[in-house]
Amino acid sequence: MNTNIWLIRREFWENRAIWMIPAILGGLMVLTALFGQVNRISIPLQFPSHAVGGGFLLAVGGTFFVVMTVYSTWYLLDCLYADRKDRSILFWKSMPISDTTTVMSKLATALIVIPAVYFVAADLTSLLMAFILSVRASSVIGAALWHVDLWLQLQVLWLYVIVTSAIWYLPLAAYLLVVSAWAKRAVMLWSILPPIALVLAERWLFGTHVIANQLWERLAGLGRLTFHDDAGCCSWVTTVVENDTIRTPTSIWGFLNPGGFASSPETWIGAAVGVGLIVCAVQLRIRRTEA
Amino acid sequence: MSALIEAKDLSKKYGTQVALDRANFSVQPGRIVGLIGPNGAGKTTALRAILGLTAYEGQLQVLGREPLRERAELMRDACFIADVAVLPAWLRVDHAIDFVAGVHPRFRRDRATAFLAKTDITGRRRMRELSKGMKTQVHLALTMAIDAQLLVLDEPTLGLDILARRAFYDALVNDYMDETRTILITTHQVEEVENLLTDVLFIDKGRIVLDSSLDDIATRYAAVAVAVDKLDAARAEKPFYERRLLGKVVLYFEQPNLEKLAALGEVHALSVADLFVAKLSGGAE
Repeated sequence: MNTNIWLIRREFWENRAIWMIPAILGGLMVLTALFGQVNRISIPLQFPSHAVGGGFLLAVGGTFFVVMTVYSTWYLLDCLYADRKDRSILFWKSMPISDTTTVMSKLATALIVIPAVYFVAADLTSLLMAFILSVRASSVIGAALWHVDLWLQLQVLWLYVIVTSAIWYLPLAAYLLVVSAWAKRAVMLWSILPPIALVLAERWLFGTHVIANQLWERLAGLGRLTFHDDAGCCSWVTTVVENDTIRTPTSIWGFLNPGGFASSPETWIGAAVGVGLIVCAVQLRIRRTEA
Repeated sequence: MSALIEAKDLSKKYGTQVALDRANFSVQPGRIVGLIGPNGAGKTTALRAILGLTAYEGQLQVLGREPLRERAELMRDACFIADVAVLPAWLRVDHAIDFVAGVHPRFRRDRATAFLAKTDITGRRRMRELSKGMKTQVHLALTMAIDAQLLVLDEPTLGLDILARRAFYDALVNDYMDETRTILITTHQVEEVENLLTDVLFIDKGRIVLDSSLDDIATRYAAVAVAVDKLDAARAEKPFYERRLLGKVVLYFEQPNLEKLAALGEVHALSVADLFVAKLSGGAE
């Protein structure tokens, strides 16, 4: 087995939370399906079955995604700092592994391995829950959960989101690695203070909000680039439920906008900044052994 | 054969504090060298520089490589234990062996497991469950199973009790040392390593103050214990250090005239510890 695989295994040994958090989260959701009062849930008959099934899959997947984002952020902040804090860096650095390889293994864990674990966990949880609910809940709900096309679409959606966020959030992930490689203590504080200080300094000196806007755009702007939001592009179904009109998509295909994401300069400027910050993190890792 | 480690004007500052001040030294293959100095003399900084763990000024070549830039390549042929108990608390003993076996081309797994079989450390234990002495044994098992040309030990027994210290050095002597290995070891407990070493480097305030083989020390230095009435005659031979001891004065000489000294009192060889104290305190005690 090559070095990279051993480094990833090492991350699983060190950070058991990588699989334990999704396992516990999935376990809780399955328990809710098993013992919750699901037989009381009812949905209006007019409600499209597809929308119910899609909503269920998105809710499960979305929950995993939110938890994953929080955990990955923490992981990136901790991963290089932890070795310095407990001085085990003196052991790791006695191995013939370059600091570039080490830093890349942390980045790959955060942007590829952890999302893959959550992807599998979300799928398994959805499957188990759908199975339990089709037995325990009303037949209408049961039927709504087994649209094969929806399941396939959600797989694609997940992978699409994993790939685009890995590229889009690269500068943020790399920034967290820089803090993790640099800070002598209080990584959390050091990750938050510099951006806040920059935003305040800019506002105070020039009265402008360029940095704040850029940061906000980076944090929240992914959805605008990766998905179409214009109503005309997709196949929509209109349903009237009592006095409300509900418009629901029948397919996610129309929403995905990989071309828009890939052709946006913001995507690649961010990625370039990310690469620069990774170089910084590696240089800090080479020179800093003390916490 | 050329030197394994070659340092020229090696310097390092932490802010305004000078840790290494144009230190010059070399380590030849097959030697067991003690880098000896008081606390804060620059021992650890010198080792960190040699191992590629810190930036430095001046020229430094270790196994023909530039340590900071080529640490990963260097670590194929050099290994080190920098301080005890640095194996991470979450690491399991068997995983540690798997990992090193996986990433280190010169690791001999059978040697590590044979070494650990002699202890009562079992594979599934985590480092946090082991005592400091046991952790050191695991680290030693991992390190000594690597077929490296250079082994660097930085205060390897710091904080260990006497039993664990003895076990450490016994293992080093019996299971590791042979004529193909070069070992560089720092300690401030000179007595502990004295009979292991072939060479010593004394370091003080960031500078090398003595670079000598033990054989040279034996022939080059001598001490004479003289009674007070012969003190003036003895001082005429230009001792570099004086020490009062039980009513007598012990004088240390470099390149002594042994015949003259024998007439003044009892002549004996200087131990490394004696020489260390004399060189580093300067003049009379």
